[in-house]
Amino acid sequence: MARDKVYQEEDFPTPLMQLWHNFKQPPVVMIGFSCFIFLIILAVVANFITPYSAVENHLDYLLLPPAWSNEGNISFLLGTDNLGRDMLSRLMQGASLTFGLSIIVVAVSLVIGVIIGSLSALTTGIKSSILNHFLDVILSIPSLLLAIIIVAILGPGLENTLWAIIMVLIPQFVHITRNAVKEEFAKDYVLASRLDGANSFRILRYSVFPNIIEKLISQATLAQSAAILDIAALGFLGLGAPLPMPEWGAMLANGIDMFYIAPWTVYLPGLAILFSVIATNLVGEGMRHALKVRKES
Amino acid sequence: MANFKQTPHYYLTLLLLMLSACDANEALHLSKNSVIYCSEGAPESFNPQTVTSGTTIDATANQLYNRLIEFNPTDNTIIPAIAKSWHVTRDGKMITFYLRKDVQFHHTSYFTPTRKLNADDILFSFNRMLDKTHPYHAVSGGKYPFFQNAQFADLIDSIERINSHTVRFRLNHSDSSFLANIGGNSAVILSKEYADQLAGMNTMAELDNLPIGTGPFKFKQYSSGTFIRYEPHQEYWRGKSELKQLLFDITPRDTGRLTKLLAGECDVIAYPIAHEKIRQHPDLILESVTSFNVGYFGFNTRIAPFDNPKVRQALAYAINKQAILETVYTGQAEIATGLIPNSSWAHDASIIGQEYSVTKAKQLLTEAGYPEGFSMDLWAMPVQRAYNPNAITMAKLIQADLQKLDIKVSIVSDYEWTTFLRKISEGEHQSVLLGWSADHPDPDNFFSTLLSCGAINTGSNRTFWCNQEFDQLVQAALQTDNINTRKGYYSQALALINEQVPLIPIAHSKRYQARAKHISGTLLRSIGGIDFHGVTKN
Amino acid sequence: MLIFTLRRISLFFFTMLLLTILSFSLSFLFPGEQLINLTGQINATPEHLAALAHQYQQQASIVSQYFSYLSHLFQGDMGYSMASQLPITTEIFHRLPATIELTSVALLIAMFFGIPIGFFAAIYHRKVPDNLILAIAMIGYSIPVFWLGMLAILIFSIQLGWLPSAGQISLLFEIEYVTGLQLIDILLSDSEYKWQAFQDATRHLILPVIVVALAPATIFMRLARTAMLEVLDTHYITAAQAKGLTFAQIIYRHAMRNAVIKVIRDVGLQFANLVTIAMITEMIFSWPGIGSWLIESIYQRDYTAIQGGLIVLSTFIFIVHIIIDFVYAALNPLAREPNHGT
Repeated sequence: MARDKVYQEEDFPTPLMQLWHNFKQPPVVMIGFSCFIFLIILAVVANFITPYSAVENHLDYLLLPPAWSNEGNISFLLGTDNLGRDMLSRLMQGASLTFGLSIIVVAVSLVIGVIIGSLSALTTGIKSSILNHFLDVILSIPSLLLAIIIVAILGPGLENTLWAIIMVLIPQFVHITRNAVKEEFAKDYVLASRLDGANSFRILRYSVFPNIIEKLISQATLAQSAAILDIAALGFLGLGAPLPMPEWGAMLANGIDMFYIAPWTVYLPGLAILFSVIATNLVGEGMRHALKVRKES
Repeated sequence: MANFKQTPHYYLTLLLLMLSACDANEALHLSKNSVIYCSEGAPESFNPQTVTSGTTIDATANQLYNRLIEFNPTDNTIIPAIAKSWHVTRDGKMITFYLRKDVQFHHTSYFTPTRKLNADDILFSFNRMLDKTHPYHAVSGGKYPFFQNAQFADLIDSIERINSHTVRFRLNHSDSSFLANIGGNSAVILSKEYADQLAGMNTMAELDNLPIGTGPFKFKQYSSGTFIRYEPHQEYWRGKSELKQLLFDITPRDTGRLTKLLAGECDVIAYPIAHEKIRQHPDLILESVTSFNVGYFGFNTRIAPFDNPKVRQALAYAINKQAILETVYTGQAEIATGLIPNSSWAHDASIIGQEYSVTKAKQLLTEAGYPEGFSMDLWAMPVQRAYNPNAITMAKLIQADLQKLDIKVSIVSDYEWTTFLRKISEGEHQSVLLGWSADHPDPDNFFSTLLSCGAINTGSNRTFWCNQEFDQLVQAALQTDNINTRKGYYSQALALINEQVPLIPIAHSKRYQARAKHISGTLLRSIGGIDFHGVTKN
Repeated sequence: MLIFTLRRISLFFFTMLLLTILSFSLSFLFPGEQLINLTGQINATPEHLAALAHQYQQQASIVSQYFSYLSHLFQGDMGYSMASQLPITTEIFHRLPATIELTSVALLIAMFFGIPIGFFAAIYHRKVPDNLILAIAMIGYSIPVFWLGMLAILIFSIQLGWLPSAGQISLLFEIEYVTGLQLIDILLSDSEYKWQAFQDATRHLILPVIVVALAPATIFMRLARTAMLEVLDTHYITAAQAKGLTFAQIIYRHAMRNAVIKVIRDVGLQFANLVTIAMITEMIFSWPGIGSWLIESIYQRDYTAIQGGLIVLSTFIFIVHIIIDFVYAALNPLAREPNHGT
């Protein structure tokens, strides 16, 4: 690459830029990444572009198979469910519920987790040891059970299950932030700025965070695939999104009774969940791969 | 460690070996004479005297017990059972039953009978329910809904033991539905000897949990909410069943039952879904029977806004019954215009119910003072019944219908069936989707049970609607034997319901059942559940 | 080894302390009255409630309330299920063994398949088998378990008719309850159909186990692959190569053992995840375990059951953690004496 500038430092890419550079190498990752972006866009605009309302009943078109089958109808591309609701519209709006909400859930728990994690990294002694054990205990409770307990306290409903999943995800972020911050604090450059008289928060803000952000993002993709599966699982169990909402897990549960006569009502939401989780995991995989490559180089 | 690379192959081979070994199906010879019935819910009790729920009746009434008289499964006429004959005096106030002498009670691990059935058992079985001072009266909560609905305590003056095998019922007034009630599912005969044994051991509550009866099967094991195991009663007076075991596999999920049937884990299933799929399957049979039932949308008439008849009428106009019929019942039912099925003699074709009309509904709602609509809850029963094969879908359709009147409906359906019924009878609901299957063919079974004031206390009137005029009509109908006079009273009662709308009748349906081809015998009855006596497996 | 054991025991006590505090505080957090949530006595008379309040020291400070709760726990009294009115302890005793059976068999299967496949992938690092295995693994841990369960039933129970779709054993067989572990109970029973029953129970086990094991197996696959790659990168492997050992010898004699140790360290962490999967699987396959019971409990608002289930299930997971820790320590001397190891 030809350089116009004399001083290399000025063009030195930020850690995130380097990450991006490594990230976009493998084609599979880029496919996953495009799917991921597609899902994000879908989640944002789904409400405006669906062919029908997701809760509108077309009583003349009950359990219509997808358009490519013989009895299908082209105006309902992916068929209809037992109340004649258009599957395509429901799946599209489901993207904003299951997938879109998972992003919000992860963002919220990331912020809370990072705050608690950095605070705990700055404390030492018995307090930190208790916190550590407490996290271990929370992590040893199966996430679904924890979510069930929180739903039992708050009552069922989509909003409450989101809080439950946020709380389930927080400990991982606390854990990873805490370890990463501690690791960074042991490094020399932190010592250097400390000698310059910077206080702990300043060091966190300006020196440590820029260096651990990629680790957090990588953890966030892991957390997001878990969040999608959890939202769907709680919806499937009937604890999450209430009845007419086109949340994928709830749609799947609704389809079970028609499994033998209208299998697409089960296959399609399942495929949608699988698709979004794979896209998320591919992005995460690419991220971790890029991190590793950068570390090695 | 060294042969790590071979391990996967090793396990795979083992797995395949196991699979192929199983395919030989040696297990068949145990399953040969055992029938597994996948039922839709757990029984609340093992004594049908204490309940009216169809699930409990299915699991207990015909399997464990007999009644004095029973109904012919084909034409619903009364036939002899424990009573080999009976005699009714001309004024209808004295009924004498002559008992069979060869009726033996079950011999189980917890009870060994020393004598055959006699008049004492009949007296015990009825007095236990009628006499509030009877030591067994309060044992299971003191509620006998079927008999309380029929107001037996007021009706029966006394029951006399004439001799060891003759009993006489003396009535305060004649009642045209008396014999039908005596033949109803809940009028089962228990063993007094067993009750005395339990009283001696101070474990009286077991009477309704560890049952002893005279029916074709005897109780072996119950794993709460999971399964019931019955064995044939060796000395059954109608001849012992050819089965070795009868199992009730309690499978509340509709898809779960169908899956088990398709996978061959059940021989017979209750309330199948996906009828098309079963019809197409070469090894399965789908059967149905016209049953005396009604599925309804009931209001809690004690709570605003449903204490206002105008609101109830408005909702009756707002509901598209035709759409419900096609979606929920897949066309396999008839639209209900009144409480009584069309096949009953009490049906009145001149009462046609409220037609589907959003404008009329809107107008009535405005008159009632709710032009802007309101929010309400709708409890949808969590189990499948013949009268309502899919309450949740029905609830969703009603939700969409009422949306047009700006009424916001939230659906409540996540309780387990018994909890659901308890909460409903305590009046926690605003409105509910429920239904009723008749215990016997007499029309009174619909009127008294569902809407009389007396039925509020027994928990079977879930609308809490209490109308003196209606009660008087129903009582008057019972006091005459003349079928035309009765019909006149019932027509008036139906008209009253149509005007007051404590509930909106939605459909009268058929009851379905699916079984594997190798099961033969008549199982389904139009009245009162299933009967496994005479069922065989080839 | 002594210090190691002592540390684990103290950790166990600390965990139990936290868990019981958590469960105790849940009785306040759940809707309804705290005493009823704790005891599950929904139909109790006022006098009975007063007696219970006395038993649980409701008039005393919160700390003594907690200790009286603890003493009830130690006597095996977790209150009554609000739904069935049976003691929670009885319910759990009848259901926990089924979960233990399902999860432990699934864990073993996941390890026996996942780890060798992971090694295989590492050996063919960045070649076709490696990429193929990684792709399959990706699908394996992305697939929603309830969907997988349903597909498995559709294919193996209904289309092919090979395996049963629900329950632990066909109801035809009457097996007496001894340990609750179905397979062991069958072997202990004196039924004439013992062998048939055993076969039948095994067939019932296969599908749920595969469904539960799939996701953890793919994770073990990845862990094993990474571990093997790390080991192959170490000096002692280079040394072994220098000695002129063949590749197979290096893998079998040196790399495998060390890589297995690395994987085992992380197995414990995966177990909580495996139990979550098992809870949903139990629901799909009507497996009579504690997971489906807990999910059922939330439908019934059976708060007493949720508290009891939380303690028992978490304790079970923690015990498995500790067992795996001991296995790890037994295999790896470095873990036992950290002071001398580094």
